[in-house]
Order: sequence, then structure tokens, then C-alpha cells
Amino acid sequence: MSATALEPTVARTKSDFWPKFRRNRNAIAGTIIVTFVVVVAIFARLISPYDYDETDILFTWAHPSPEHLLGTDALGRDILSRLIVGAQVSLTVAVAVLAITLTVGILLGMIAGYFGGKLDSAIMRVVDIIFAFPDIIFAILLASALGPGITTVIISLSVVWWPGIARLTRSLVLQLRTELYVDAAIASGTPPFTILIRHFLPNIVAPLIVRASIGVGFIIMAEATLSFLGIGVQEPRPSWGGMIRDGIVSLRTEPYLALSASTALGLTIIGFNLFGDGLRDILDPRIKDR
Amino acid sequence: MSALLEVRNLTKEFPVGADFLGRPLAQLRAVDDISFALEPGETLGFVGESGCGKTTVGRLILRLLAPTSGTILFEGQDITNLTEPEMRPRRRDIQVVFQDPYSSLNPRLMVRDIVGEPLKNFGHSRDQIDQRVAELMRIVGLPPEYMSRYPHAFSGGQRQRIGIARALAVSPKLVVCDEAVSALDVSIQAQILNLLADIQAQFGLTLLFISHNLGVVRHVSHRIAVMYLGRLVELASEDALFEHPLHPYTAALIAAVPEPDPATRGKLAVLPGEIPSPLNPPPGCPFNTRCPKVEARCRAELPEFREVEAGRWVRCHFPG
Repeated sequence: MSATALEPTVARTKSDFWPKFRRNRNAIAGTIIVTFVVVVAIFARLISPYDYDETDILFTWAHPSPEHLLGTDALGRDILSRLIVGAQVSLTVAVAVLAITLTVGILLGMIAGYFGGKLDSAIMRVVDIIFAFPDIIFAILLASALGPGITTVIISLSVVWWPGIARLTRSLVLQLRTELYVDAAIASGTPPFTILIRHFLPNIVAPLIVRASIGVGFIIMAEATLSFLGIGVQEPRPSWGGMIRDGIVSLRTEPYLALSASTALGLTIIGFNLFGDGLRDILDPRIKDR
Repeated sequence: MSALLEVRNLTKEFPVGADFLGRPLAQLRAVDDISFALEPGETLGFVGESGCGKTTVGRLILRLLAPTSGTILFEGQDITNLTEPEMRPRRRDIQVVFQDPYSSLNPRLMVRDIVGEPLKNFGHSRDQIDQRVAELMRIVGLPPEYMSRYPHAFSGGQRQRIGIARALAVSPKLVVCDEAVSALDVSIQAQILNLLADIQAQFGLTLLFISHNLGVVRHVSHRIAVMYLGRLVELASEDALFEHPLHPYTAALIAAVPEPDPATRGKLAVLPGEIPSPLNPPPGCPFNTRCPKVEARCRAELPEFREVEAGRWVRCHFPG
């Protein structure tokens, strides 16, 4: 037996997440908006005063009133109810796209970064090809080829969005690849896939969370764009993009529909961006310029 | 006599640069035709200047790198060209302690999981792992209750002990110590060196001890191999090497070991010149550009690595 170590033990440092969070006003504002939108989306059917597809032909283009707080649209449907259900649609798309792109992007990015060689080249060339198209335009192209619908929106936004996750993951893996604990794990007989899960994933997850939360803003915006163009979410299911399109025809006389939908869309995007930026400042100050 | 590890004509080249089509512009020969054998229970010290290829030798033996040519025999089995899945069962016999105690421990894992990783890979249960990790912590001189802490709670020396505990976890036969104490303060270095010596005595480990510090190597090694520009230039027992170095480079290294007593301190014999670039090694003996005893033959002809006395190998036309 050898002598006990003489060196003093450094006390375990506490996580500084909450103190940093409390000082970051953007993060707080973003969190409030995001929480509000998420809660509204989850309980949409419970809190919406009317059914989103309940028409009232005698009461079209109604101005805001105690019965219809934001008025009604061309078919006499309650705008507030459609906004609330629209939030649910937007977030469903965002969650589905995030789930798909994070799974595919992280998996392929880790494989490319860890194994390198031909596999890396093949994956990254596909990424480059998709990157070569402007993302919204590529999504519009895909969506019009696939035919309208919520599934189409999810698929086409996933296709344009996973390469960014893959590229970020790969670069993070490449940075960690030279850490000696990876070599130690190989020398200990840890199989490659276990190394990726045990040693890489926990060390790259923070920047990926940041990237994903900033990405939600883009996904919601892109979904609204597709729906605005009529190749996204279809009637009678409400979507903010579709509501803006419907409202634009009567913007001068009956602005409530377009204005309320744009405001909801704008606020939500700002909320997610503030939230994402705040998370980035707190979790990973290194990637500020990315 | 059956060697635990035998290395024959081991060579590793790294591609340097790339042209338009991605073909390498040159090959850097980091390890050139190295042969040696390790007997069970001994410590072989590997010394040489920074960049001489000693770390690469360690990584080749660990099969973290694939050799360009040559053979590595472990207990008589050729492990040179094993695929990674074939190599995995052998990995329990060859473990490693790295130089940098910060980079070598995953900051997101508890000490229990770091030290227990090799055990987990070789099929031990959760309880067995916890028990063995506690035992290992005691062996390396850390309180077992520290095992549910994260690496950042430990100092450099303590981290190195954790690295040693990990290396010992699956009771390996050979441990490659790659500059295992170079990143530590001198007082901590001594503690870790003594720990390694204790562990070796206790478990009959074979150590390959790689270091640029001849004083450290001397303290732990039975035999010492000296490397220069990717080649072995001398291999001898510790006593013989220090008493009577045969290669001029070894002599220069020994002369450069700091002498604590100013009274016995002589004038430092500094080798002239720089190490030649390994991309463009000089013809003949690689040491001929700096050798005090250089002659015409040294510039023309590469000396053989030959056994001049029993157990004394040297690569020099004019040894002694």
C-alpha cells in the first residue's frame, strides 16, 4: 500500500446555471414567452372558447367583441380559437422536426466525425449538397413535390434542417477526438458505439441543445411560410401562415385576422430566439459567434 | 526465456500534407525499424527527446495506431494486424497511463465510471465493479468514498492516481506509462513513481515507461532504451547504461541530467546543433550531424543495431 495522497481536494463546484440564468434578461423574457406558448399549445382544445372549425355564416369578419375577443374570419370562425389551435400545430411540427433532425443529424455527425475516412466524405458531401440550396426554397421545392399536408411540412423541413445538426455534431466530435480519455476508452476495450454514447454525447449535448432551441424559431417560421404559400398545413386545420394569407386579402378593411396571426407568429419566434440565445450565453459562451 | 512482448522491425510512417487529389506529399517516419523484447515483471524505460517517436511506439503497442510494417507479438500471439473486434479481448492485458491527467479523464463521468469502464467492458456486474473500484482506490492511495465525485474535484496528482487505478482495473500484464509523471510537480512525481514501483512489486506488472526525463526513467527502470530520430540507438541495463554509455547520444543525455550538488557539477556538455527534421533525416547514422565522434563512415553508412555485449545493444560504428 502506498501513502495516502497529500494533495488537497478541491471542493465540488456548484453548477452556475441558475445564477447566470437569473442575470440574463433575454433568457428570462424568452422563457416566459416560450412557456406561455407551450402551455397554450398543450391545452389548446381546453382553453379555446370555440371549436376552431365552427363556422357562423351570419357572423363573418366580426370585429373584436366580448363573444369573439379577436373577431371572426371570412367563414365566421373565432380567430382567437384558431390562433390557439394554430400554436399547437406550429409546435407539433417543430417538435417532430427537432426529433427527426436531432436523431439523424447527431447519429450521422458522430459517425462522420469519429470514423472519418470514406464514411465521413460520403456523409459530408450529402450535407454539402443540401446546404448548397437556400433552405426555405429547397423546402418549398420538396413540399410542392410531395403534396400539401402536415406530414409534408415535417418531412421537407427535416430534410433541410438535419445537415446543420450533422455538421455541428461532427465538428464537436472532431474537437473531442484528440482527448486522451477517448484513447483510454479504446485501450480499455470499449466498442466504438459505446464510446460515442458514453464519451462523446454528454460532452456535445450543450451546444446541440442551444442549436435546437434557436432552430425552433426557424422551423416555426418555415412552417408558416409553407402554409402561407398553401403547400403546408391545410384547411380546416388552422395554421398561422394560412391565417395570415387569408387575412391579407382584406387587410385594409378587416385587419384583425392577419394582424393577430402575425403578432402570434412574431412573438413566438422572438421568444424562441431569446430563449435560445440566452441558453447559448449560459451553457456555451464559446459558440457565441457561430 | 519467453518474452511478454516482442517487437520486431516496427515502423510507422505518417503521411504529411496533401496534394490536389489528397495524396500525401511525403511520409514522416516517426518510428523506424525498432526491435526489442520485454520480459515479464521488468520495467523498460524508453527515453529520447521530444518528437523522437517514443510516444508513437507506445501507441503502436497499444494498437491505438496501426504500424506501417513490423510485428508486435504479445505472449507469442501476433497482434499486429488484428482487427479492432479481434483485438478487444487482448486489451485487458495491455493498459495505459497517459501524460495529461486532465485530458485523460472524461469530465462528465464519475470516478466510479472512469475506473470501472474496463471492468464493465469485460463483463463485471455493477456490484463487482463498485467493490473492485473501491479496492483500486485504496491501492492507488485515494479514499474509496471519493469514487462518486467528478474529475474536476481532484488535483493533478490525484487525477493521475485515478488514471493508474483505471489501468490496473482489469489486472493487465503490461502497462504502458506514456510520460506518466511529466505533467506533475516534482514532489508529486516522486509519489507517483513510488506508487508505480509499489504496484509493480505487488502485482508483478511489466511496465513500458516512456519519458523524456532520464532521471525519472533511471529511478524506475531495469533496462533502458534510448531513441533518436525514430530509431533505437542503445538498449542496456540501467546500471550498465549509466556507468558506461556506449552511444555518444546516450553519453550526452546522461551528461545533461541535472546534478543537485553544485560542488560536483561540471561544465554542461551541450550537444551542438538541432535534431534534424524527421522528414529529411541525414544519410548514414541519424546522429552524425551532432555527434562529437563523427567520422566519414558515419555519414555514408547506417550502423546496424547490434549486440556488442550480452544484453547490450547499440547502433554505432564506434561504440564506447
